[in-house]
Amino acid sequence: MTTVWAGLATGAIYSLVAIGYNVVLLASGTFNFAHAQLLMIGTFLAYTGAVTLGLPVVPAVLLAAAGVGALALLEERTAIRPLLGRSDAHGALITTVGAATILDGLAAALWGRQPLTVPSGLPDRPLELLGGTVRPVDLVLIGLTLLVGVGLHLWSRHSLIGLASLASAEDRDAASARGINVRLLGVGAFVLAGLIAGAFGLLVGARTYAVFNLGHALALFGFVAIAIGGAGSQLGGLIGGFATGLIYAFAARYVGEAYPQLVVFAVFLLILFLRPRGLFGTALERRV
Amino acid sequence: MTLLARFRPLSPLLAVALLMAAPGLGLINAYWSRTVMLIAILSLLVSGLNVVLGYAGELAMGQVALYAVGAYVAGYLGVQFGATNVLLALGAATLAAVLVGLVTGIPGLRLGGWSLAMVTFFLVILVPNTIDILHDFTGGTLGLAAAVPTLFGMEITGTRLYVFILAVTAVWFAIARNLLRSRHGDVFLVLRQSPILASTLGVSVYRLKLLAYVIGAIPAALAGALFSMIDGFIAPETFTFALALSVLAASVVGGATSVYGAIAGAAVLQIGQQTFTQFQDWQLVIYGTFLLVAGVLFNRGLAGLAHDALAAARRRGLLPARPVSAALAVPVEPEAELDRLDGAVLRTEGLSKSFGGNAALREVSIEAKPGEVTALIGPNGSGKTTLLNLICGFYKPSGGSLLLDDDEIAGRAPYRIARLGVTRTFQTPLIPKDMTTLAFVATGRYTSHRVGIAAAVLRLPAFRRGYAADTAESLRLLRWLGIEDLADQQVDSLALGTRRLVEAARALASGPRVFLFDEVGSGLDESDLVVLERVIGAIRRAGGTVILVEHNFPLVLKLADRIHVLSQGQLIASGTPAEIQSDRRVLAEYTGATDEQAETATTKGAQ
Repeated sequence: MTTVWAGLATGAIYSLVAIGYNVVLLASGTFNFAHAQLLMIGTFLAYTGAVTLGLPVVPAVLLAAAGVGALALLEERTAIRPLLGRSDAHGALITTVGAATILDGLAAALWGRQPLTVPSGLPDRPLELLGGTVRPVDLVLIGLTLLVGVGLHLWSRHSLIGLASLASAEDRDAASARGINVRLLGVGAFVLAGLIAGAFGLLVGARTYAVFNLGHALALFGFVAIAIGGAGSQLGGLIGGFATGLIYAFAARYVGEAYPQLVVFAVFLLILFLRPRGLFGTALERRV
Repeated sequence: MTLLARFRPLSPLLAVALLMAAPGLGLINAYWSRTVMLIAILSLLVSGLNVVLGYAGELAMGQVALYAVGAYVAGYLGVQFGATNVLLALGAATLAAVLVGLVTGIPGLRLGGWSLAMVTFFLVILVPNTIDILHDFTGGTLGLAAAVPTLFGMEITGTRLYVFILAVTAVWFAIARNLLRSRHGDVFLVLRQSPILASTLGVSVYRLKLLAYVIGAIPAALAGALFSMIDGFIAPETFTFALALSVLAASVVGGATSVYGAIAGAAVLQIGQQTFTQFQDWQLVIYGTFLLVAGVLFNRGLAGLAHDALAAARRRGLLPARPVSAALAVPVEPEAELDRLDGAVLRTEGLSKSFGGNAALREVSIEAKPGEVTALIGPNGSGKTTLLNLICGFYKPSGGSLLLDDDEIAGRAPYRIARLGVTRTFQTPLIPKDMTTLAFVATGRYTSHRVGIAAAVLRLPAFRRGYAADTAESLRLLRWLGIEDLADQQVDSLALGTRRLVEAARALASGPRVFLFDEVGSGLDESDLVVLERVIGAIRRAGGTVILVEHNFPLVLKLADRIHVLSQGQLIASGTPAEIQSDRRVLAEYTGATDEQAETATTKGAQ
């Protein structure tokens, strides 16, 4: 059961990345490769707030959320906005990888290359729960991730803004003809994704440490979560993330310490091969 | 000028020969000869990426992983089996690259967009892990000391290794050049721009992307094998994510859609890394900025700059002008009529399509015969384009059947239907970038008059014949359409009306059996419209089957032999132009007019 808890806690982080990908994907149809890097910056800002400035938990979280939200806005303006209306869609492949790399480089230059410990402000003593041990911080991480994931899922299906964003991801021109401010929605989605990533910086950092190349693994496993859950499905991404975390934890426990990445990779390839739309994704037909 | 033109193809060879002789002649010292070798190796990595990214339009970040595979395969062969022959090492590395390329490419390309990028990115992250797991073969974190490479008993070290590395690099670039500057390269560009257009040309998008990806993997593994020979030592620290990014940065700096840009990009990155010590601290920021700026400005890298400079020099007469393509090589007379076309009967029987619960097309049965123009009309959203997409295979029918000369073709992949001789144009013409009009028209013949990849790479007589025939036929069509003078212009610089004509030429080039024209007249001015009418008339007389989707009612009346009227996904009338014109229900439905207004519309339409 301890393995399950560990898997769920790691999985929660992958779910968060998948949620961030999906928020932007649903509203603007763009895949923001740099989202995992935003989460990475969130852990550093949480460190700066909680340790360097010695702020209490709530202001530290707010600082990280605001900082990452602003960065996301900046990224949208520099890496995404200039590409809108281009005929070929490959530009964002390059620019968001560029943005991610800049964030990696800046984090390494500003905070150094050594991992930093981020204090969660929660008691460190592990709890006994359902026959396994789990740290309080991990429990909170799992719970809040579930809350945000399910909340966003319901919101995207039932609120007016959520539906509008679904519509504009489906067809920008049609949506904007219906009076939806497509551009504002796109920006809003980036900022929202940034705010969520920043707000979780403290909890994520408490589990993984703040380290400049955190984004690489997170980007990958977050994408695996999307592949499992199906692109554009908030619930799918949430479940996919937890599933990836569990696969990782069980592979590490039962196959060997060195193997979890390879096992996740094999699962990833299998899913792409057998069910490329994911378990929860719906098949879209091509339009001319 | 003739002298210059004659030596043009030789100039890269001369440059390579000079560079090879440089250390022997004492022109460059050990530091620079090492730098040249490292640039050559990096340029191999970049060149492979360019094939995938710049031509086929997929991001492959795994060049570094393939680099590691090449290095370890070569190193292991030498250490374990004493197989130190360099050619064997390169062969084994190539084989390993193809294998890894297939294993990752087959699932990675199932979805478009990011999935290949992520699969290959994963490969890079797995490298240290895998080296560790396989430490019996790789030496783990301690590294692997490679054996001294040999060729026919001769040790390949020092200057010999230098010459060998340059020779391998030169051979690869010759292969890449021959491949990319052929119809295959042109079709890669079509693929990058529009997979839909590629499948209309009869190309299997999935297989062609896989091909490009596997081809791009080969130079990376070659580079790895060569790298293992330089230092005689392979360690996991070489194969980092930062190196993966530097390959990507070199690609965009040099210009991804070019053959030799890879060398320029590799030189900038390699020399930059060696020269500026601060580079280490800020390398990620620098790479990222390169990517962001290049991606946003969409510049075509150093290769693009060189290209523009050459073009400017030619305009000012500083350099001799390029011979205008083959206008000259193959004289053709303008003809009034097309060659005979082998038209086929296309029939739908009770064809239906629904999206979710919405029925877009209900039980539609039409027949289009050779030597006739069959028009589909109807208001927006009546299902005309849905029907076209069903015929082309872009949609799978929910019910009914679709017959081409009595063969059921419903549900087949678009490229298979295209290969049966069904071609189409698009509401918004699909026009690729970085290609001349002539080359674009010639891509229409890619699958119908195919020349193999080996023939293109080796420039065999079959390639030369095929190329000349493509050019002659494309020029003939352009001349026939009266736009021969545009043959050498970039096709994406043309105006809408001309684009439609070029699309028609592209469609005609394959000698198809069934033509689908999707709103071919919209947005055209009178003179272009006249040419298009002539084109459609000529296809009809030549025996082709034409299906025309069109809003312009007078144009339809003039061209069509049979008209089918769709409304809300149903066929509401079929008949000759005269019958349709007198059908009040049709006019009411189609123009949204009352009976009385419809009467007036009829008279106007007839005028």
